[in-house]
Amino acid sequence: AAMRSRAEVDATLQTAKLNPAELLPAVHCLNFGPQAGSGECCLLQLEPGLCAELEAGRSLVIRGEKDEHAVLCSKDKTYDMKIADTSNMLLFVPGCKTPEELKADQASCNIIHSQIAGFSKNYWELRRCRPKLKKLRKLLMEDPYEGPDSQKDQASTFSKYTTEDLLNLIQASEEEILHQLQVIDACKIEGYWRILDFNYEMKLLNHVTQLIDSESWPLSKVPLCACLEELGSLEPREMIEHILLSYGRKYVDDGEVFFEMHEDKICRAIAQMLLQNAVKFNLSEFEEIWQHSVPEGMTTRLDQLQGLALVDKSTRPGTIFLLKVEDLPEDNQERFNSLFGIREKWTEVDITPYIQDLCAEKQTVGALLTKYARSSMLNGVKVYNSRRPIS
Amino acid sequence: LSRSGGTGTLAQWVLVELQGEVEPRQSGDLAGSLLGDLHYTCEGIPVLIVGHHILYGKVVQLEKPFAVLVKQGGASQPSPVGPHGHYTVTALIKTKLLFKTRPKPIITHVPKKV
Repeated sequence: AAMRSRAEVDATLQTAKLNPAELLPAVHCLNFGPQAGSGECCLLQLEPGLCAELEAGRSLVIRGEKDEHAVLCSKDKTYDMKIADTSNMLLFVPGCKTPEELKADQASCNIIHSQIAGFSKNYWELRRCRPKLKKLRKLLMEDPYEGPDSQKDQASTFSKYTTEDLLNLIQASEEEILHQLQVIDACKIEGYWRILDFNYEMKLLNHVTQLIDSESWPLSKVPLCACLEELGSLEPREMIEHILLSYGRKYVDDGEVFFEMHEDKICRAIAQMLLQNAVKFNLSEFEEIWQHSVPEGMTTRLDQLQGLALVDKSTRPGTIFLLKVEDLPEDNQERFNSLFGIREKWTEVDITPYIQDLCAEKQTVGALLTKYARSSMLNGVKVYNSRRPIS
Repeated sequence: LSRSGGTGTLAQWVLVELQGEVEPRQSGDLAGSLLGDLHYTCEGIPVLIVGHHILYGKVVQLEKPFAVLVKQGGASQPSPVGPHGHYTVTALIKTKLLFKTRPKPIITHVPKKV
């Protein structure tokens, strides 16, 4: 179809009884472009900050396998994507000028032939969400690293994952993924991210704590060089350094590298080692064994075990059993169902370590409890139970 | 899995929001056919002449801008779960022309010979 002429436009104005004197001189003749109806264009509504990121040249990535709901990731945040329907028709027009732009540009030509690039009745809406990181642990646990002597690695048919692989498989932003790798003490071995097999990890930790003990080093000043020298014949140097990094804080003093050991984390790991050997323990027996098992100079406390173990004081003597928050479901409702299946009524103090990670950006544990649980009083103490009948 | 990359400087497009459906005058392809003429009054009010209708609208600065995603390669597969495929961000939209008023019909008598 031939492009409209100024004369045709003026004729239309006259038929429409519009006074050209009341209009700006420039007109846009809107035609549908060649790909307009193809549905290849779609609209994404941007949350604050994302527009600036795009303009700064940074990418946004949509992640999700066929069986997962898609999420959008910026460099450091993750968003759920949802289709929003409008009852209106939205046309996207390149090169269409606003009245301000036309007035500012006096030399603009009289007719602007604009092609409508596409149209839609809906658009993608974003809502900030928690990154879906449970899968990260699951993938790395497929093949935990058992040490260089392990026969497993050579014969292993399990997938190993590079950073790039993880970026493609995990529904989270790069920063969130890298942060989580640090949190779970993952390390890179031959270019692949690995989690240590717990027994191997304890073996490494034991080497270090025994050395600290025999050398009488203060727990706050463990020298890296000496560790590597003394233990280098037993284990790979990278692994010795990794265990020190996992269980200590690295710092430099007078040009030398030292580690301030995390007493709480070490006690916690030793507790896990003890607890995983039985379904549950008599509480006082456990506490005694535990204190004797930790390195000289360290003090065990039950609050070191938050999110790792649960104490049951409903019987005398009390018992304690392993319950790891990372083994529980990631979805909010499923998490609460699971917790109420384990114990019918929880105090806020007991349940908090097991729901803390569910809190959205500005959400509190209290808000979660209000939404997913019902409260009541039991022996003068406020407890929470399920909103639904337990099957 | 999809990736959208920001190009050097992103183009700024405009959104035109209309009520109802968009249908071509003739049956057949929409491509290439005319939608209408877009004018602005001296006060900056957009006026759209579509067929035998005049639509008055307003210029709205979007609180939440849009990104225009274009699917790359292959026929579009409508995906119920999510927008799977490869996309690039082609443009940003910060402004829309909203036409919500009822269109005024244009009563024509004799089409003027040009």
